[in-house]
Amino acid sequence: MLLKSPLNNIHKELGAKFKEFAGFEMPLQFTSIIDEHLTVRKTVGLFDVSHMSNVWISGKDAEKLLTLTTLEDASKIKDGMSQYTAILREDGTIIDDTIFMHLGEKYMIMPNAGMSDEVTGWLNKKSEEHNICATAENVSRDYIILAIQGPKSRDTLQKLIDVDLKKVGFFACRFINISDVECIISHTGYTGELGFELQINNLEKAKNLFYKILEAGREFNIKPIGLGARDTLRIEKCFLLAGNEFDGGRTPLEAIMSWVIDWDHDFIGKDSLLIQKERGDYHRLTSLECIDKGIPRHGCEVQNEGKKIGIVTSGTLSPCLNKGLAMAYVHPDFREKDRILDVIIRGRQVKAKVVKPPFVKKDWFKQN
Amino acid sequence: MTKEIRSDLKYTDSHEWLKIKENTAIIGITDYAQSELTDIVFAELPEVGKELIKGDELCVVESVKSVSEIYTPISGKVIRINEKLEDTPEVINESPYDDGWLVELMIKNMKELEDLLDAKSYKEKI
Repeated sequence: MLLKSPLNNIHKELGAKFKEFAGFEMPLQFTSIIDEHLTVRKTVGLFDVSHMSNVWISGKDAEKLLTLTTLEDASKIKDGMSQYTAILREDGTIIDDTIFMHLGEKYMIMPNAGMSDEVTGWLNKKSEEHNICATAENVSRDYIILAIQGPKSRDTLQKLIDVDLKKVGFFACRFINISDVECIISHTGYTGELGFELQINNLEKAKNLFYKILEAGREFNIKPIGLGARDTLRIEKCFLLAGNEFDGGRTPLEAIMSWVIDWDHDFIGKDSLLIQKERGDYHRLTSLECIDKGIPRHGCEVQNEGKKIGIVTSGTLSPCLNKGLAMAYVHPDFREKDRILDVIIRGRQVKAKVVKPPFVKKDWFKQN
Repeated sequence: MTKEIRSDLKYTDSHEWLKIKENTAIIGITDYAQSELTDIVFAELPEVGKELIKGDELCVVESVKSVSEIYTPISGKVIRINEKLEDTPEVINESPYDDGWLVELMIKNMKELEDLLDAKSYKEKI
């Protein structure tokens, strides 16, 4: 059975083409992926990402549960702040990556689409096993999630909010009233641009708010944005996608998430990671920018002098750079900056260069 | 927006068009096909001289999110390819019946033309 976003009818009205994603029918694009992508980079775009999940973690040991099950020591994330992290199995592999938001006595985490049951189940199981007084509650069906992203995102939202948005700093989160709608707002996003995400648990008001944001952003040429552009935007910034960069078998060390790991606390999976860190011989996520014409896709082999040394997990054509891009796991001996490797696309060797992420920097329009 | 169909062309179920001239056929994808793909960002065309049997892969057209293999509706030899598509593949979206043509084949078996659809039959399909 295909689930739909509660805003599905609005997307139909706006002329969206739909695609199935993680069991949900979601808008792939409204006009064109390239146009929507560039709109977000240049001005502002509005996304419906309600297929993502929402889980409340509450109880007197909520902080302890997060500290135990994620890469983060949750005592360091103060009320009103959020943090990007990952939940691991005992063997160090990633179950899911997520943001968690500290909101008063509770935390809200946003597992990926289709992961809410597994993550909620895991957290409750660990809570019980370790005698922690905390529960995880899956409330995904209750929330609509909107993302407003782009250089003009704050100016757009500011027209609808009394609170000075400049005071909601990077990764801050709080309850807020937007045009008479109670929301949770966070200064977060998946595009690498200035932006905010809104969690709203009132369907009618959320629908209204969607239109109000489009109206407020009209002077900035705001557009509704589909998941097609969401994917090209995140690849340009080398952000991970569950199911691509990890799909049951990757660790945060392999996925180059070490900057997110707080080694000073005990967490599930830590021992396995320490062993892997010691060995050091694991394939690592690498950013490849095509020199020859061609578009890498998930599953393409990466070769060095005819020998397979890696595999592509995400590939696309970059609308900003007009080049093929790949995120790939590559053998540690072949991934120094500027090395030229071959991506095999339908039997053809397409030359690509190892670059330092992200592919698209802040001043991207000067890059070409 | 209604999709354009030209009356002087032949068509296939899989949304290719053919312009038949004596013993050659110019092949492209229809307005309907390009609108389904939207932004075409890459076209991989065959080598001139390649011999193809009906049903072989003729070329590959890629949008940002998808790779579409196009299979040749007739047997023939590739005599010309649209080199403009190397730098400006989006021309297929802008002008699917004119500047966005893909390949020209020397027809090997005229009988295969009988299996093609005329404009009216194609219109009914879509």
